[in-house]
Amino acid sequence: MVQQIFMLSVFLYIAAAFLSLVMNRIYKVANYISAIGTFAAAIAGLVSTIIVLVQGMPFAAEFPRFVPFARFTIEVDYLSAFMILVISLIAAVTAIFTLTYNERYIGKNAGIFGFLNNIYILSMILAVASSNAFYFLVFWEIMTLASYFLVIAKQDKEAINSGFVYFAVAHAAVTLIIFSIIVLYIYAGSFDFSDFRNAEIPQATKNLIFLLSFLGFGIKAGIVPFHTWLPITYSSAPSTVSALMSTKVAIYGLIRIGVDFLGASVWWWGLTLLAFGAISAVVGILYASVEKDLNRLLAYSSTENVGIILMGIGVGMIGFAVEQPVLGTLGMLAGLYHMVNHAVFKGLLFLCTGSVIYRVQTTNMEEMGGLAKRMPWTGFAFLIGALAISAIPPLNGFVSEWFLYQSLFMAGNHSILAVKALSPLFAVMLALTGAIAAMCFVKAYGVVFAGPSRSEHAREAREVPVPMIAGMMLLVVGILVLGLGAPVVAPYIGHVASSLLNTSSPQVSEGLTVYPTSKTQAMLSTPLLFLFLMGLLVVPLFIVWTLRGEKSGRRMDSTPWATGYAYSARMAYSATAFSQPLRVLFHPVYWIRTTLVEVGSKIASYFRQVVGCIDRLESFWENTVYGSLARGTVLLGKRIQDIQLGNVRMYCLYIIITLVILLITTIR
Amino acid sequence: MPGSDSLLIGLVQAVFLLLIAPFFTGLSRVLRAKLHSRKGPSILQDYRDLFKLMKRQEVVPAQAGWVFRVTPYVIMATLLLIAMMIPIFTLKSPLGMIGDLIVVVYLFTVVRFFFSTAGLDSGSGFAGIGSSREMSLGVLVEPTIILVLFVIALLSGSTDLGTISQKVASGEISYYNPVILSGLVALAVATYIETGKVPFDLAEAEPEIQEGPLTEYSGPSLAILKWSLGLKQLVVIALFLAVFFPFGNAAVVTPSSLLVSIVLFLLKVAVFYVIAALLENSMARFVLFKTPEVTWVIFGIALLSFVFYLVNL
Repeated sequence: MVQQIFMLSVFLYIAAAFLSLVMNRIYKVANYISAIGTFAAAIAGLVSTIIVLVQGMPFAAEFPRFVPFARFTIEVDYLSAFMILVISLIAAVTAIFTLTYNERYIGKNAGIFGFLNNIYILSMILAVASSNAFYFLVFWEIMTLASYFLVIAKQDKEAINSGFVYFAVAHAAVTLIIFSIIVLYIYAGSFDFSDFRNAEIPQATKNLIFLLSFLGFGIKAGIVPFHTWLPITYSSAPSTVSALMSTKVAIYGLIRIGVDFLGASVWWWGLTLLAFGAISAVVGILYASVEKDLNRLLAYSSTENVGIILMGIGVGMIGFAVEQPVLGTLGMLAGLYHMVNHAVFKGLLFLCTGSVIYRVQTTNMEEMGGLAKRMPWTGFAFLIGALAISAIPPLNGFVSEWFLYQSLFMAGNHSILAVKALSPLFAVMLALTGAIAAMCFVKAYGVVFAGPSRSEHAREAREVPVPMIAGMMLLVVGILVLGLGAPVVAPYIGHVASSLLNTSSPQVSEGLTVYPTSKTQAMLSTPLLFLFLMGLLVVPLFIVWTLRGEKSGRRMDSTPWATGYAYSARMAYSATAFSQPLRVLFHPVYWIRTTLVEVGSKIASYFRQVVGCIDRLESFWENTVYGSLARGTVLLGKRIQDIQLGNVRMYCLYIIITLVILLITTIR
Repeated sequence: MPGSDSLLIGLVQAVFLLLIAPFFTGLSRVLRAKLHSRKGPSILQDYRDLFKLMKRQEVVPAQAGWVFRVTPYVIMATLLLIAMMIPIFTLKSPLGMIGDLIVVVYLFTVVRFFFSTAGLDSGSGFAGIGSSREMSLGVLVEPTIILVLFVIALLSGSTDLGTISQKVASGEISYYNPVILSGLVALAVATYIETGKVPFDLAEAEPEIQEGPLTEYSGPSLAILKWSLGLKQLVVIALFLAVFFPFGNAAVVTPSSLLVSIVLFLLKVAVFYVIAALLENSMARFVLFKTPEVTWVIFGIALLSFVFYLVNL
């Protein structure tokens, strides 16, 4: 049953992809077919994975072999189901959003876009579902190619440039992943995941495999110092594609290899993830805060959130390595919870950005402003997303970070000394990240949606069409469900986490509260938190209502005080000025980036020389090999021309000579 | 749901802090006047100010959106919630089951978030400067607060504020421990910074005409905001007291023990205000970029407390 629904979803993606390709000439129809197909497929995917997760019914299937050396098998276990759930969720929402969004940005290529988009989503799903490394790599590669074409969908020079960067980086990553899988294959003797799990691998080789996959998937996920491609790619990709890319499938690969295949066997693996995660979180959000391009700001914040996810998974791996399954599942729970949260709130923020660009037609925050009045739905959605990503209780971003704090607390309480000594410092880095994230998103909302409008486009903006609003609102609901519904959601994610090492599912919720497996350590109840906040709003309202003067009212026509001069929108605080204190306080971090960019451009110019060299080499080969061949052919032709004299008697002579030669040869 | 008795204590705490907040801001004004050898206002002047403001017409800039209008209410509600979650009169967090110290620290971020966003929403450049400073201050102080509280929590084996209060009050976490002493110093300074008093009065800049994010507020909204800022001072101090000076809080809830703890709480807060008055009137306001010098020092002290904790193991 579950399997049939899942296959239906796969079939619907394929059907939507090819139908929209066929209808490419009637691009409006193609767009609708693609969007409706994606939506239906995603709903089927959601239903099947929810059944897997809630009823505890993982399933597997085998298909005919296409190649002799690898079985084409899929296996949707808890982890895969969880990933498919996240992907399907974002796919469904972006499908609704593209209904009108694509008309402007994709236009006549809607059919091709629909094809690629469906193939991209499907390949992501099949990559996380396949239980054979060969097919995992095949789908991974299809995913990379499809997303490359989606990134360059806008077809301008910038998009093509950033598409090239994405293409190069993704392939650098995939090379490392292939290496790690080949080493696994050598020891396991087949590409089957089940053989990978049971393979006897010496510890040194395990370390090698882990490091290769960590680098590969780390590059793809955009951790520091491999994060530089994210802002370049996201700044020109369509917003829906950026939202889909926020599902961070790379983390799945890391968990699959590091935890599932290799069993997280040594504690320093986890510590490596934790350290890289913490640094990515702080550095990512620092870079995000000083951006004034909205897309790039969100891209850098992806680096931050990937860092937080990795921190959770790092704690989880430490827990598994030191044989404290409770710590392991708790860390993993935090990481996985943050992964779905990130997909939801970052997806929402990208869609809001898409809506803003749809109306204001720039990504420069300094030219926006005051949009909350003109685009109330978008403004509201962005505010909720900003609150969630800044880990404001009781929304979802806070719940996962709270679990991360609790797992760090647990790691600091009982585990090996290195972890004990470092975990409070990681908690401090998480706190720092939270504080800077709040600053970053106060700026984003404040400059884009609040205050006066800073440009003509911003003054004339109006709300986006209904399908786009619907897409955003669905994700707002997602944020509320994952945040306020934490007591319901957390046990299922805990189940996914504990399934990785077949340990028993931890008890993390009861009634309206969640707790880190022990109630005495801490408790959190987001629904009650929300209820109390709402209830306590009555107090100030009541105070104002009782003490208010009878003649007083509200006047809304004034301008902000400008020391006596006439007020102008240019007097409002700018995005750059708002984040200026960070530039000063964290000067070294920004200094490193500037220096690295210089080094980078030096390397780039060096590469340009190399490319130039190759160009010259090419021309050398062309001149010597192909050139001489060509010249020879032309020469030969000329010689042959010489005997064509156009004289009938000469031709008769040729025929006679030929006959004589033939006679001589046959007589002999 | 929390039990009805702890819910009641929580509500009493919140309402009590709300009612006495203008008294303590008034006290602070009186003390300043005395230190300046002025006669100064009555200690109840801030109540009168609030009542007066409530009756005034509210003038809102045309640029401002709905965030500007809801912010005073959100801030006050959030601070009241924090007041319900901290053990103030008892050794138990009245709403301990809905959140621990991490929730409390992050609820302060809610206050910050809305305060700053409202500043940007008003469209005033002065408010924008205040917003930016408010968030920067958060970046500087929050890591220290988390580190101190995290280490104390490690000592008591729980991040629940009630458990920490109990263990400190019962002497299970000894005061002769260098971990506690250095943590106390660090959190005391961090608390002082969070109350927004000179020299860290960066965001609202009380002595100036432009009061940062408050610039464009007027009438009832200004009253609610000013009241909330007073309440924030009390709540921050209460958090500090709950962790390091829970002595005298009621272990068993009886009318007499509650009365004792209320009186003791008022005395502790008064002591804090007197020390604060001495500090704030002997210093000039820092520029923002001088603040890191202080926050680095307290972060260092907090780190020292953590190192002591590690060595003790």
